[in-house]
Amino acid sequence: MAAEAVAVEVAAAAASAAGLKAVGAGLAVGLAGVGSGLGEMGIGAAAMGAVAENKDMFGLALLFTVLPETIVIFGLVVALLLMFQ
Amino acid sequence: MFQPKQMSKLLIVASKQQLDPVITELYHQNIFHIDDFVEKGDEQWEGFKIGMPMTGADTISSNLVKIRSIASAFGIGSDQVEDSEKARIQELKRSIEQDLPAIAEEVEKLLSKRSKLEATAKEYEQKIEALRPFIEAPFPMELLRGYDAISCIGGTVKSQPTINVPHEIWEKPLKTGMFIVIAVRNTDLSAVEKSLLDLQLQKVTIPEETGYAPAIIADYEQKIAGIKQEIEALNAQMAVIRDKHKYFLMSSEELLTADIEQAEAPLRFATTDLAFSVVGWVPTEQVTKVYENLDRVCAGKVYVTELEIEDRNDGPPVEYNNPDFSHPAELFMDLYSRPKYTEVDPTLLMSIVYPLMFGLILGDVAYGLILLAMSFGLRSMVKGNEAGNQLMDILRNCSISSIIFGVIFSEFLGFSLPWAPLWFSRHISIGVAAGAEHHASAIPQLLVVSIWIGILHITLARIWGALNASRMDHGHHRSLKMYANIGWILVMWGIIVLIWSKFPIMLMPDLTQMPELAGGLNVATIAGAVMLVLGVAFIARENALDLMEIPTIISNVLSYTRLIAVGLSSVAIAMVTNFIAIGLIINPQLENLTPIGIILIIVGVVVFLIGHAGNTALGILGGGIHPLRLHYVEFFTKFYRGGGKKYNPFGMIRRLTELKE
Repeated sequence: MAAEAVAVEVAAAAASAAGLKAVGAGLAVGLAGVGSGLGEMGIGAAAMGAVAENKDMFGLALLFTVLPETIVIFGLVVALLLMFQ
Repeated sequence: MFQPKQMSKLLIVASKQQLDPVITELYHQNIFHIDDFVEKGDEQWEGFKIGMPMTGADTISSNLVKIRSIASAFGIGSDQVEDSEKARIQELKRSIEQDLPAIAEEVEKLLSKRSKLEATAKEYEQKIEALRPFIEAPFPMELLRGYDAISCIGGTVKSQPTINVPHEIWEKPLKTGMFIVIAVRNTDLSAVEKSLLDLQLQKVTIPEETGYAPAIIADYEQKIAGIKQEIEALNAQMAVIRDKHKYFLMSSEELLTADIEQAEAPLRFATTDLAFSVVGWVPTEQVTKVYENLDRVCAGKVYVTELEIEDRNDGPPVEYNNPDFSHPAELFMDLYSRPKYTEVDPTLLMSIVYPLMFGLILGDVAYGLILLAMSFGLRSMVKGNEAGNQLMDILRNCSISSIIFGVIFSEFLGFSLPWAPLWFSRHISIGVAAGAEHHASAIPQLLVVSIWIGILHITLARIWGALNASRMDHGHHRSLKMYANIGWILVMWGIIVLIWSKFPIMLMPDLTQMPELAGGLNVATIAGAVMLVLGVAFIARENALDLMEIPTIISNVLSYTRLIAVGLSSVAIAMVTNFIAIGLIINPQLENLTPIGIILIIVGVVVFLIGHAGNTALGILGGGIHPLRLHYVEFFTKFYRGGGKKYNPFGMIRRLTELKE
């Protein structure tokens, strides 16, 4: 009886650990995404304005717009490491 | 390779009698990039003035304006004309003289007629708009005007007005507020208007019409319909003229453009009363051609010489010098900035690495095939557009690379192909794949591979940075810059060696077991620390503020993990789509077929198609933008300067006209 109870408890602990891992992975991607979005919001709007004024700015505008994207990639990588390691 | 085409600076001097043959010959060769002459009061150019256009330039340009205005009215461009035959220049010139005025007059007549009709239609429409509020009025319009002692006010107000003087009012409720027409004595007019203004009166002018509003509107609408018919007839007439003269218009546009460019060329030359001189650039391999041909057309009465290039960085125009398969990547270079003449031109590397990165991200045979089909299917849409064609070429290369990586990763629409992944597996356990045979994924390994790509890419960028500094900078600054670039390499590798010496990482050298020296530090730790300190010193010598940027070394390298992370997200979307469409909707129904089940299966197929279509679109975006960003942000910022002048030779590629008279 005692051994069975312990086994159930261990299984429950493992399941909850896996669940917390998944929650952590979700938070990593989600929050990082929000951060990137906030960063790109202002840059994107300004970049559109610059490109409308001068088409040659496109390359530079794209560059600036995607700069904050690294943040979400880091979030994604952390999530991947959580889930698959 | 990794260098723009080599250019030579030529000076051409001759007497003014040779002006015409020299210009014609240069234009014909289409290799001479003219440096425009500017009157700056240079001692060297004292006495020279900007030249005058050649005789006849004004007739040519007035004809050209005529042709272009007709072409723009018709909306024809040269790409709409087949170039199967070439117009003979003599004939074309004759018909420009004889036929063009008549055509221009006819078109102008039709155009002015059409614009008059359009204006009338517009006027009627405005009158209809003005009448619209009066549609339900129980009185004809003429009753609202023509009195000596009474005035009428019409307009919208916020709410029911209360007026204390003798008046007559008609109201019509609107969605917000109401429309009113009030008749009052002229003596009360200003008082009433004032009280209405408190209700936010917005006045409308009372239309000067006779009869009830609906009847007048119907009358105008009939007139507009008549006008529209007339316009249609005119358009048909113009379409006939357009098709008849399309070829003539476009070929003469080409001819006259060539003529006007030649006639106005002296505006870019330096001239005196009797002589002229022009400075320009020619690819070095073609210099002798220019010498020989100019000598021939001027019968030796021309002086051509090669000049010393003073400013190698900014002087010469830049023409790419890449093997054929690299041409598409020039689009991405021009999008960023054309390289300077002296600096490393990374186009060739980009044309190889970019598709590889794209393939690594997408890595799916089916998506690759879809993109390959797209790159061929869309080609007809970008006909005649060079940038569009380059883009399609890039898409083609990228999709081929995706197919190759798809075979390696054993992926087809998120399903596994009949073989195990040939390299590290990206398969994740979602849905159907979880139950079926499942290859253990090796995502941490793949992440390390992507970091390796980053380390090598950035190291190369820094090496090129040092190379650029050695070529483009001068004096003390030059060596400082070169050492700073080496310093960045040392710092990066120093950090890497330090990490290796402390933590064993898969797929990377394990330096934790190196023999220990003093204080528990092994050889690698000390070597790494020395590299770090040395690197920091080199960077600080150039600019101490740059030390602030050292943390970006780590973020830049880690940024390359996007190659795997973005790819995995597309794998996950594909697998989830499969799981929802097949695992959750189609499979349960197939076990027990019912009429409703069949509908559900169709729904499942639709979900499958939409999911994968969306994922393909995301694949293009993700696979396209991220490698581009890695190049622009992580790679170019380390060495690339850009800002080179585009090589734009004097001349044109004739499409519709013959080369020689």
